[in-house]
Amino acid sequence: MSATRLLGKVIWYVLLVALVVVMLAPIVWMLSTSFKPETEITTIDIHWVPRTFTLENYERVFERFNILRWTANSLIVSTAATALVLLLDSLAGYALARMQFAGRGLIFGIILSMLFVPVQITVVPLFLMFSEVSLTDTYLALILPVGANVTGVFLMRQFFLNIPYELEDAARVDGASTLRIWWSVVLPLAKPALTAVAIVTFLSTWNSFFWPLIATRTDASRTLPVGIAQFMSLRPGQAQGAQAYGQAMAGAVIAALPPVIVFYMLQRYFIEGISMTGIKG
Amino acid sequence: MRVIPRPRRASDAGTSHLYSRWTPYLFLLPYLLVFLLFRLGPSIFGLAMSFTNWSIVGSPEWVGTANYELMQIDPRLEAALKNTAFFTGLTVPLLVVLSLALAIFLNQPHKGRAIGRVAAFTPYVLMSTVVGVLWTWLLEKDFGLLNVYLEKLGIDGLPWLVSQDVAMYGIILTTVWWTIGYGMVLFLAGLQDIPTELYEAARIDGANSLRLLRHITLPLLAPTTFVVLMLTIINSFQVFDQVYVMTSGGPGTSTLTLVQYIYTTAFQNLRMGYGAAVATLLFAILIVFALVQAYLYRRGVTGATT
Repeated sequence: MSATRLLGKVIWYVLLVALVVVMLAPIVWMLSTSFKPETEITTIDIHWVPRTFTLENYERVFERFNILRWTANSLIVSTAATALVLLLDSLAGYALARMQFAGRGLIFGIILSMLFVPVQITVVPLFLMFSEVSLTDTYLALILPVGANVTGVFLMRQFFLNIPYELEDAARVDGASTLRIWWSVVLPLAKPALTAVAIVTFLSTWNSFFWPLIATRTDASRTLPVGIAQFMSLRPGQAQGAQAYGQAMAGAVIAALPPVIVFYMLQRYFIEGISMTGIKG
Repeated sequence: MRVIPRPRRASDAGTSHLYSRWTPYLFLLPYLLVFLLFRLGPSIFGLAMSFTNWSIVGSPEWVGTANYELMQIDPRLEAALKNTAFFTGLTVPLLVVLSLALAIFLNQPHKGRAIGRVAAFTPYVLMSTVVGVLWTWLLEKDFGLLNVYLEKLGIDGLPWLVSQDVAMYGIILTTVWWTIGYGMVLFLAGLQDIPTELYEAARIDGANSLRLLRHITLPLLAPTTFVVLMLTIINSFQVFDQVYVMTSGGPGTSTLTLVQYIYTTAFQNLRMGYGAAVATLLFAILIVFALVQAYLYRRGVTGATT
């Protein structure tokens, strides 16, 4: 028995190592390539540690591309969109969960029904709307549509349904207004839900590609994902001619590093946020 | 002192006088305004546009169902539908099975499983275009890491992204690597909800691991499996980012997907009415799936767990 158990354990660890290698090798290879001169990249000689270590690719990327500007754009848009979503969704979710009013079921039903409507159907009208008022290439065009998300409202409502009434009642007896109760009694209690909504909103906005690709036409207004997408226009045979995988990997590393570091630091919240919205959204 | 919640609902008499009748609407107003302008409105507008010949130039006219008739004889749309179905048909089972296996594997009480979990989830943290750029390099025909290693093992490498026959497999491989951690996290959460007493009791009755898996783990994970299945199907039908970066739908139309086709039609060829019609088709497909799933959910999953 103990022999089979030991064997089982050995197999488990072998599989674990295989798993870690398969999942992380591509990322390590991306790092490795980004520090190699181009001659050492296009070869069938595999060296995981560059023989000639160079920062040339990174220098080129900063020279040729607005990558810092794209990063700043992404940060601004994601932060503003997250703040907007937290404000709108906690207000709306509170009303939907705790107040009695005509049309509540209907309004909530209409909001939820949008879960089944793919966003692709909205992008053409959105583009025309923002063009009409000359707001393409602006932060507003990237932020406002995020504010209309459905899962956030749903999550906030679900959370508010389950907090005890006593605390609100006590505040009400003290003469606090509804807005005050929402702000100083309900919101502090809702921290777990707010955190989950914030993480998921920030992540999805940071990674969002389809709408920003359409809504931004000038290089300076691009977000990071949209900017990175054009690195593959460096492919052989296309615009730039030369094989520039080193630069593409350097750009990818610059874009990948911040989220990966933040993920390793805030792992628990990431996973909680994702499983919460995944299961309930 | 512990506050013991009293069962009570907002519909109970006596709550309505605590706030003015307009208060709820004021709380809802900011969200509803944004929701109407940027979600509900555009959705309806999009549906309406699909009955027009809207393009950047000229004034749009109603063309009735002309776009939908055109769709029936559009070879590129046919290719996009086939490719999207193929992508979904292969990616969804792969992702569900592999992420379930991964979750069960990384739920074993061995030291080091946390490392496995973090490693499996790391790719999902990367943005889609980084993944696309990275895998374009890994799948490069002559010097890409995958082919070089395959050749070393004596296997002929594949012209992953440059051949019509295999390009979609390159996209699928990329997608599975990228998103497997997402399903795993959901399955791990589901596994935590299975009471350990069940396993202990079954073990006392002499059940082996395989029987535990078959009679406890899998049935009790059914609701989670259902959620993962639903999410992966919906996401697969909307696949775009990887495709855009890695192949732009090529070579030929071999990786052209529905959303890639919507993008090309509406924003490169500027046939916005027709693009809206294709988007409506995507909507219709997703609705059919949602209905089938709702039906199955009511019949199957709830029946199996209660």
